[in-house]
Formats: sequence, C-alpha cells, structure tokens
Amino acid sequence: MRYRRTTAGVFSSLLAAILAATALPAQAHGQLAGTALQLQAEPNQVQDVTVVQGAGYATLAWTHVDGATDYQIERTPVADDGTATGNSVIVGVWRPNRQINNSEPTFADAGFAPGNRFQWRVRARFGTTAQPYSAPVAGTTNAHWGDPGTPGQNLRTQWENTLGAQYTSDVNEYAYTAAIDELSDRVRVVEIGRTIQNRPINMFVIGYPTPPATPEAVAATNPLLVNCNVHGNEPGDREACFIMARQLAFTDDPATLDRLSKTTMLILPTINGDGRAANSRGNSTGQDLNRDYSLIRQPETQTFVEMIRDYRPIASYDGHEYGNTNTGDLPMLPPRHANVAQGIFDESQHMIEGHMYTQGAKDGWWACPYGCTGANVGLGEETILRNTLGLKNVVNSLLELRSSGGPTRPDEGNTANNRRRKTYSALWTFNQFLAYHGARVGDITAARAEAIKFQSANTGRIVFRGSRPIEAYPAPHPGDTPPPVDAPTPERILEQVPCAYKLTEEQYHGARTDGPAGRQTTVAQRLAAHGWKVVKVADGYLVPMSQPERGLVPLLLDGQAAEGLVAGERVAPTLTGTHNGPLTVSGVACLDGATVRGPVRVQPGATLIVNGGSINGPVDASGAAGFVLTDSTVNGPVNVTGVRGPVVLVGNKVSGPVNVVDSADVAPLIAGNTVNGPLGCTGNGIAPTNLEVANSVSGPKFSQCASL
Amino acid sequence: MTDTLAWAARPPARRDRRRATLVGAALTLLVVASGCTGANGGSGTSSGPPVTVSVTGPLCDQLPAGDEPGNPGSLAGQPADQALQWIPVLTTFEAAVRATGLADELTGTPGVTILAPTDDAFAAKFSRTNLDELLLHDTDELRGLLRDHVVTGSLPVAELVDAGSVTTLAGTRLAVTGQEQGARVADRADTVCADYQASNARIHVINQVLGSLPTTAGTEDDHDHTAH
Repeated sequence: MRYRRTTAGVFSSLLAAILAATALPAQAHGQLAGTALQLQAEPNQVQDVTVVQGAGYATLAWTHVDGATDYQIERTPVADDGTATGNSVIVGVWRPNRQINNSEPTFADAGFAPGNRFQWRVRARFGTTAQPYSAPVAGTTNAHWGDPGTPGQNLRTQWENTLGAQYTSDVNEYAYTAAIDELSDRVRVVEIGRTIQNRPINMFVIGYPTPPATPEAVAATNPLLVNCNVHGNEPGDREACFIMARQLAFTDDPATLDRLSKTTMLILPTINGDGRAANSRGNSTGQDLNRDYSLIRQPETQTFVEMIRDYRPIASYDGHEYGNTNTGDLPMLPPRHANVAQGIFDESQHMIEGHMYTQGAKDGWWACPYGCTGANVGLGEETILRNTLGLKNVVNSLLELRSSGGPTRPDEGNTANNRRRKTYSALWTFNQFLAYHGARVGDITAARAEAIKFQSANTGRIVFRGSRPIEAYPAPHPGDTPPPVDAPTPERILEQVPCAYKLTEEQYHGARTDGPAGRQTTVAQRLAAHGWKVVKVADGYLVPMSQPERGLVPLLLDGQAAEGLVAGERVAPTLTGTHNGPLTVSGVACLDGATVRGPVRVQPGATLIVNGGSINGPVDASGAAGFVLTDSTVNGPVNVTGVRGPVVLVGNKVSGPVNVVDSADVAPLIAGNTVNGPLGCTGNGIAPTNLEVANSVSGPKFSQCASL
Repeated sequence: MTDTLAWAARPPARRDRRRATLVGAALTLLVVASGCTGANGGSGTSSGPPVTVSVTGPLCDQLPAGDEPGNPGSLAGQPADQALQWIPVLTTFEAAVRATGLADELTGTPGVTILAPTDDAFAAKFSRTNLDELLLHDTDELRGLLRDHVVTGSLPVAELVDAGSVTTLAGTRLAVTGQEQGARVADRADTVCADYQASNARIHVINQVLGSLPTTAGTEDDHDHTAH
C-alpha cells in the first residue's frame, strides 16, 4: 500500500477503519493520541513548538534544548479530527549552521502539497541519541494562493495544477501570462524580445494602481527586477515568479499594495525559453547565457541588457538551482567583481547578510553564501549576470535553490516534494526582496547615485578579473567557508587607466562571427545595447571611460581583458598637470586630474574628456564631436551647444550657468552635478537624462532640464 | 524539431497592452478546478472511469500515486510520449524524445517497451555540457542512444524477464534477468519503477543509461564552475 498525501476524506475514514480493524499496537499512528495526553515534560523534550503557515511552507519554532546538537522535524498528515491519515516522516533536520541566532531555532518545512493538514513534532538529538518528541502541533497548510471564486486569483499554473508533476510549459506560460495581463490593471506584460527560435520573451511590469506607461516612466520609480530562469534545466525559480506575479496582480494586502504604489516590480520569467523547452542549460545554440551578459552575443542576452538600459532597475535577483546537496536552502552571492563600486557591493551584501539571513532565521529558511559549505564557485566573471549587473550599478544577488533535499531535508526523494520546496523557497526570497527594497530604497538609490558618480569619475585601477573578498560570517552560520578569495593577479590589474578606447571602423562596424548564424551583431550594436556613449572621431570611434558603466568598459574593449569583445586602442590622458592660460582643443584631448587656469574652448568637431579636473574660466564646447566632463570643478559658465555626439556631465561642481542646447542625436547625460547658477537645456534632439541621479542647482532649471 | 510549441500556436509579436480576448479554452485550463479531485488531477487528458495500474519497484513510492496528477492509472490511455511527461523523474529522457522526434516510433503499433533512465541516471552518465550538446546539436547521436532504450512490443516486466533477452530498435541485444520484483537489464540497469502503461506501450523506469556512449559525468567540464 502506498500513499503519502490524502485529499479525500473518504480515504482517511477508510484508513481509520483499517487501523481500528487491525488493532495496531500503540506505535506509529497510535502514538499521536498518547502525546496529547502528556502534561509533564520529559527530560530534554522540546517545548513550545509553534507552527505558522506561509506560502507553500510552514515555519516551525521551538525553545532551544540545552545540549542539543541538532533537531529532527517530523510531519504526519492528519484529518480534521487529528487522526493520522498517513505515515509520520522525518522531513527536516535542523543544524546549528542553519541560522544566525541559535537561541531561537526555526525550520521552514516545505514540500507538502499546499492545502493539506498535518501535525508536526520536533525532537532534539544529542549526538546520535534522539530525545523525546515534543507535543504535536497541527495546522492546515495554505492552499495555492488565491480564492478559487475570484477571477484572477483563481488562475493556476500548469505546475500548480499538476502538483509539481509537470513544469509550466511555454504554451501554458503564454496563456497564464496573458490572462493576468488581461485581468489586472496592475500588470502590463511587455514582450521585450524573442529567442532564437522565436519564442516571446515576456516581462511582467507591475505597479499600483497601474504600472507606469513607458520604460522611462518605470525607471523613475526605482524599479526592482527578478530574472527567474536563465538555465533551462533549473526551472524552480520560474514557477515562483508565476505565482508571485499572480499574487501582486490580485492581492488585497495593504502592505504589498503600498510597496507597489511606490515602485515597479519587473518579473522576467523566461529569458531562455528555448533552453527551458529543451531542458538544456544553454540556449538553442548551447551557449550558457549566464556567461554572455557582458558580451551579449546572443539575442536573449542582448534583449536583457537593452531592457536594463531602458527600465533601469536599481535592484535585482537572478534565479538558479545548485546541484550541491551539502549546502543551504538558499545560497546567495553579491556582485563581487573588483570593478563594482564599493557601495553597490556593500548594499548587495547588506541585502543578503543584513536582511535575508535575519529573515531566514525568523521564517526557517537557510540562506547562506554561495558555496556555503565550501565549493570553488562564485567568482568574478563579468559575463555572469550577478557581476554584469553590479557593473551596471544594480544592487543584486544570485539566488540558488539547492537541487536536492540533502541531509537536512530527507523527504525529498519524491520529486514533487523536492520541486515544491525549491519553488516556495524562491517565492519566499522574492517576496523578501520586495520587502527589502521597500525598506531600503533610500539606501539603494544613494548607493547607486554614488556608484554612478564614482564610475563616471574614472578614478582608480581597473581589474580585468578578480573579486572583492567575501568575509566569513560569524559561526555557527556557515560563513566559515565563504567563496574563494579570488583576488586579482598582477597581470589582471591595470594601474594606468586610459581615458578612452578607440576603435577602428572595422572594429566598430565590422561583421562578427561570434553569435548565432544569421543573428550576429556588431560591436556598435552591442555597445548601444549596453547604453554606452561613443564619440565618432576622424579616424574611428572613441569610447570614454568616464561613464556610468566604466568598470565594464575595459572588460570588453581592452586587449588584456579575460573575455574581451575587441582590442581597442588605449587613449592615454593628454594633460595631467597644470595649464596656465587659455586652452583650445582640436582633435581629441583628455584631461586627467588637470588644472586649467584660463578659458577652455573646444573647437567644432573636436572632443574633450575631462576627469577630475579644475578649470578656472568659462568652458565652451560649441559644435564639438563629444564633450565629457566628470568629477571636475569649473569656475565659470559651461556652454555646450550643438554637440554632434555624446554630452556627459556627471558629478561636477560648476560655479556659473550651465547650458546644454541643440545636441544632435544622443541624449545628454547630466547627473549628480552641483550647479551654482541656472541649468538650461533647449533644442536637444533627445531630452537630457539624469539616470535618476539628481542635480543640485541653485538657479532655475529650464525647459528640457526642468526635472533633472 | 525540438520545439514543444507548434509555430502556429505562438502569439504574434506584440508590444501593446490590450489584445484580442483570450481564447476561452486556454483560460478554462488555467482556472482552478474547484471541488474536483478526479483521477486525472486536472490533466484533462483522460476520461472515463479510473484505470488501476500497478507499478512495481523501489522508486514508485516517490512518484505520483493515488489520485495525484500523473498517477499510473491516469497515464494508461495516453500516447507514450505524453505519458512520459507525467513521470517527474524522466525530464531528461522526455526532453530527449522531443529533441529527437522519437515520438513517432513510440506511439505506433504494435507497440513498444520503453526502458527510460531517470534524471539521476543521465546526470551520472553525462556531463552537463555533454548533455546540452546531445539535446541541442548531436540529436542524431541522441536518437541512436534513445533507440537503444526501446524494444518492439509492449512488454510487462515479467515478460521481459521470461524472454531472457530482447533486442532494441538500435539492434542491441539486451540480457534481462529477474531482480526481485523487477528486472536487471544488460547486467547494469535495474528497473526502479516498472510497468507504467501507456497506449500501446509499457514504460519501465531504469536507474542506468544503456547504450554505448562514453561516460562524461565527473570530467573537467562537469565541475562546480559550471554552476550558476
């Protein structure tokens, strides 16, 4: 006879009858009644067990037993009257490395079919010696989210309907996605691109009462993003995303609606639809997309990066599964690449260690650093989304779902149990992510603004490959085995940083062979997808380092890069000291930490890049090919008129009026400046932007710059 | 043809919020079937009275049973390729069937016996990179591998054992011996949940990959660095 789960009351009655008829001795099922009668605690018996039902999980908590080395959690399916309807099973093993506060042990039991009723008992073990079980605590678990009688709430995915026997197919995804789109004013589903095999890449854009109408408007709300499924054979997070989209679309929860009224949630369920359908890690060409987010050889990653450029999420999670049995429930890791701005790294770490570890200890989920119990994973490749996004100034984390139950969840031989635990642990994480974002949006945006100014200033060394260290988290939480140090080796460090890279016509526009047949893209297209500023000069194309994604620029354009795109020519600074008197720029000039005592005039067709400079006198760049001024002090007016290419003004202090007028086809970037005087922008072909990094302007802000 | 989705079934490119009303049938499938816990578990694929199918083997306890979606009885009338989609430990084998277009050979008459290795068996046999190559590029090779797991005739495990040996579609002769309630195949694979019935087919879940492809799991490209 075989059963694990019962939905039919008839079945439990039948079982009760069998039990009565066979008059089993008071073991197993009979013991349930016995424990209820225990009034006196036995020695070392676990006390005060409570259960709180979550979305697809149940949090058990109890009082710590002195001397316990671990705990076992037992679950028994029961009927409403408390009669056991199935076998008791050890479903969990609590170990001290699970949480940061061992004094208040918790365990998130998961894997059961939602909606069924169970009772739980907990017992301590001293070494291998089991102590008496606690008194049982019973509860009915939460059913699949949403009232079956309420339109929208009653939608279910294929995965939910089959109780985890099947994952949600592409066809079911489209129908479910379209249904949510149709039934909820809070949701707009945007097809941001197509896969190689022409599957739509959809994104849920969710806000309350309605999401902002355009990507630009979304960007203004400090949006957050979940990228659910890049590896086709790791589908657990994707199912959580579908459920979360439904929750956000149809919930009445005031706290959630409050959060959605202040931001926009972006959920990208299936960036790799072809791989999901094929059950392959890579896309249809076999390319691992999570080794392609910087190079963007593939249509899927290019689509993703363009979305980041346009929607500008400030925080993100990237969902995976991890085939290491001896690790936490939820390994996480921040962007570690050494070129990631310190504040982005710190804030990402705070999201993980400051928030997820703490909340995990409350709700019973075991979040831990990637690797967690030691593994050679989690390094600094900028091709991995975690790092790419960090280099794009996005606070973010990798999320792994441990593939198998492992020693701490011994009841996951059953595939459905295993799939449910993974998906509901991801759902917990993504909801916590939304809560964290709501609580820390000011800190995240401050870190992002600092990062954009830092990167644009082009200061400090460049690391081609290598990571920031992840410090060990205090024991017992398993920070004692953080990911490898991965410090950059000397040959991967560039101390003398150029101010730009110059590409030839062939390098920039030439046909390439990387990427799928018929879908190859040029360097020009890829840099545009990243949103980088490029100046057309007489003998090629100039990519200034002084821009918000500075840390990523050499990783694609330097000949020394570990996985570069093209070997551009390093353009060294042309002036680093002091220049007395007027400075007239023709051709290309790059001032790095220079002082100019006199007016600066950029001649028509010339390009000026100034990092960390000090200019005493007016600056005039009329008709220039490009004009970049970052981290500088200018005493005098700055006039930028009719520039053909990029205009970048970031993190400057200007005493005098600033005017950016009549720029041609590129949106001027005017961000994080302090202007003592007016800021005027008129006649620009595309209105200037500030990437949500405000300028401090003492005078009036005119016309196209009124909201900057 | 590696797609699960017929081209015609895909939505046209769109960027607009509002479109034509949903296809009613699609929406109906999505909505929770309240108060219904029928034998087909909402699969909508079988009708009529539940069929009792008895499967045997140590893994059966871990697979859908009773009235759960994907229980053996609910698969009895389904074409073999669709039945495979309901056995959750066969996601690799099932994807391989789609990748190679083998469904035609599994659904005709006089029927077939499918010796389907578990996901764990595939993971123990092939590195992740190798498996992607097979699923995406080397589908002829993969097809050959699959055909070494298919035998003509829909044979219960007891009949496999009685036969003593069978020949696969690929022409390989497999010795079959009795092993507790199941069978040991080619002296290396055991049935771990045998005697799933599909339309014109028996499906026996086995714990090793058969065939002659080299083992690549645990090699250089299968280490931790391919994670995340």
